[in-house]
Amino acid sequence: MRRLVWLVLLVVVGACTENATSPGVCPNFCPGDTIAIRDTILTTIIDRDSSFRGYVPSYGAEAMTAADVPGVVDSRAFFTTDTVLRRVSPTVGDTTTVPINVDSSRVRFIIGRRPKNTTNLQLRLYRLPVTADSTSDFASLDPDFTATPVATLNVTDLLALPAITDTQVVRRWDSIWGTQSIDSIRMDAAGHVLQMHINPSDTTLAVYFKLDTLQAPFSVADSGRSAWGVRVAADSFASVILGASNQGGTMPLIRWFYHYTIPDTVSATPDSVVIANRVPSARFHNFVFNPPTPPLDSNLAVGGVPSARALLRVALPAFLHDSIDVVRATLVLVPVNAVPGAPSDSFQVLARVIAADLGAKSPLSQNSGLSATTTIHIGSADTVRIELTAMVRAWSLDTTLVTAFIMGQSPEATSYTEMRFYSSRAPAFRPTLHVTYVKRFRFGEL
Amino acid sequence: MAMGRLGGWAVRVGVLVAVFLTAQPPNRLTAQDSQFGIRGLGTPGKWESVRARTTGGAFAPFDAFSPLTDAVLADVRRMSASVTSGASWRSVDAGGLQSTLRGTRFPAMVITGPVTRRIVVAGGFTTYLDRSFGVVIQDTIDLRGVQQPITDQIISDGAVSDLRVAVAARLHNRLALGLGLHRLTGSTRVVATRSFADSSYRTTTARDEVAYGGVGGSASLLFDVTSDVRVAGWFRSDSKLRADVGGITVAENDLPRMYGAGVQWRAGAQASVAGTVSWRNWGAVQSVANAHDTFNWSFGAEIGSPGSPLRLGARGGQLPFGVGKAPTEVGYSAGLGRQFSGGRGRLDIGLERLQRRGLGLSERVWTVLVGLTVRP
Repeated sequence: MRRLVWLVLLVVVGACTENATSPGVCPNFCPGDTIAIRDTILTTIIDRDSSFRGYVPSYGAEAMTAADVPGVVDSRAFFTTDTVLRRVSPTVGDTTTVPINVDSSRVRFIIGRRPKNTTNLQLRLYRLPVTADSTSDFASLDPDFTATPVATLNVTDLLALPAITDTQVVRRWDSIWGTQSIDSIRMDAAGHVLQMHINPSDTTLAVYFKLDTLQAPFSVADSGRSAWGVRVAADSFASVILGASNQGGTMPLIRWFYHYTIPDTVSATPDSVVIANRVPSARFHNFVFNPPTPPLDSNLAVGGVPSARALLRVALPAFLHDSIDVVRATLVLVPVNAVPGAPSDSFQVLARVIAADLGAKSPLSQNSGLSATTTIHIGSADTVRIELTAMVRAWSLDTTLVTAFIMGQSPEATSYTEMRFYSSRAPAFRPTLHVTYVKRFRFGEL
Repeated sequence: MAMGRLGGWAVRVGVLVAVFLTAQPPNRLTAQDSQFGIRGLGTPGKWESVRARTTGGAFAPFDAFSPLTDAVLADVRRMSASVTSGASWRSVDAGGLQSTLRGTRFPAMVITGPVTRRIVVAGGFTTYLDRSFGVVIQDTIDLRGVQQPITDQIISDGAVSDLRVAVAARLHNRLALGLGLHRLTGSTRVVATRSFADSSYRTTTARDEVAYGGVGGSASLLFDVTSDVRVAGWFRSDSKLRADVGGITVAENDLPRMYGAGVQWRAGAQASVAGTVSWRNWGAVQSVANAHDTFNWSFGAEIGSPGSPLRLGARGGQLPFGVGKAPTEVGYSAGLGRQFSGGRGRLDIGLERLQRRGLGLSERVWTVLVGLTVRP
């Protein structure tokens, strides 16, 4: 009996796991209430919407666009470098200096995005005046950009060359330039090099113009400062995004290769020659384009240079705060027109909640989980939809939040591209919010 | 606590039961609740100890540890307590759609003791309505002009419990009267979840707790016709069952009155048989469209010495909620009892098989029952 008791108790204890859920046979054997879902388009809750420009200038952006799309845009990128000392101390502690003799140089650009189906994609390098700065515009730099290029690098041709994957060569380029890990390099007859970078999200390219002293003379008068511009050309849709981020290590740069002589003070030994190189720090980068971004109007502008953002205020109706659960909220925007340009210049629009409504200077919320993005495709005038579900759910649950958000390009001021949407001042095309929500389940009722 | 040695027959039966239960995969067996209660107030509990349950419920009005009637408490001669537990496996067949469920319940507990030589009081709880269920509903709905597959899951976990304070008095050597006050209480944790196949839609989940409240009263008589024959009659009435969510009453539902009668015959020193009938007017629950009055019967026997009896029983009747005609329930049960520690303790085990049938649904339930009674 004792064993029997233990057996039975074991069976009972073993059955202590519950499983009370079965497929519902409705309506006869299901709860009386059902999960009721509603779908509504709120056409007038977005109001007091405006656009403001001037958040990020092109020279503060993390990338630059070089593009040449006839009839649409001609965008040119450039950068300037700091000085390079033309004399060096040959030995440590020695107060005497010797001059350096520059014999060649390389100019590097990181291509972050490029049209992958275009052919004959070329980068053309121009020497610009070292005075180029934020006041330089398309017109003022046009004579320099229309001069004969210092060098031309054909990206398409380089990509077609056999890759050099020898570890010794690949790692040497890694160590010299301190770039991200690369898997191969390609070199053309002129000595221009293309590095293929390993990037989890995409494949970026680093291109190196090889320049001799005739192409890139070291300017003693300018204390070694230099300025370089680049244009892009292709059979069609010529457009590339060039890195310009110090943090990301994508800044364009020039490396001067030189040698100098250590004079021998003991007559028994000959003078020795030292080979070295130097990368001056970048002073400035920018891109200029024509035609310039048009001025703001009554529509909602997002993007452009300097960057424009749109502030949209949402008058959330009371019922969205009470006894409902938002399962989807979609912002519906009607473009004024399609964004012209090269297809590879499609960009993202980022909607972010603001922490306080201070108009154009509204601080952005640090809660990135409430942000939403969508991609704006070049040449498409389709209605743009941005999923704001997380944002509207947060507003629904927390009445202390500011029910407004800012839309901006991501990343900002890196391109000529700008999107314009109809605002609330255009009643037929104003922004709307399409909300799908679930009504509170009536527990306890039959 | 010393435990006496049982005879070989008991061990053999017990081992057979255990082997059967452990050899059968759990998904062939099912739980105590019923799908028939989902669309109503719940599944009525069985106010029976393991002893009464294994006799089909027939011994309930004559068993002091079954919370069915109060008058039988007058038989208690010393402070005693009893607890009942059951593990059930349930298979549901709904129009060819089959599922398997399981659950464990402690459906009854009674503590009782005499106040005077003629008056006995008792307290305890039992399950009045079981409200534990879960349903998964898959459907396709039109959202934003697109057919979206959805999955709803509605889960309710809890019960309406019946807290009882009862007093029984022996009015005469052959007549005992019992009265009981009942407080209906308890809650269910409820969750309703809808998930979408399209990840653009967020899964929505609503959780809440429904609290139930009500009061009731019961009265019963126990009359010894002869020294071997007893008859019992009982009556119970309850107030409306209130359902509160967040402190706000969302529903008030009528509860049925209950009438019942039973007879027990001691056929010698080592055998007794009993039978009961009961009625409940569930049809008075206005808020439930398909509520039916129910009639239930039971018949059972207890054979063997009082220290280690074998019990058998059968029951039948109706369930209160179901589409069309009232669903029916038929059950068979068997069990063993064993006293130990010189009669200060008793262990009861049992096995019950129920079959429920209604329009569009049938259920088969196996329940393993274990009861412990102690008289310190």
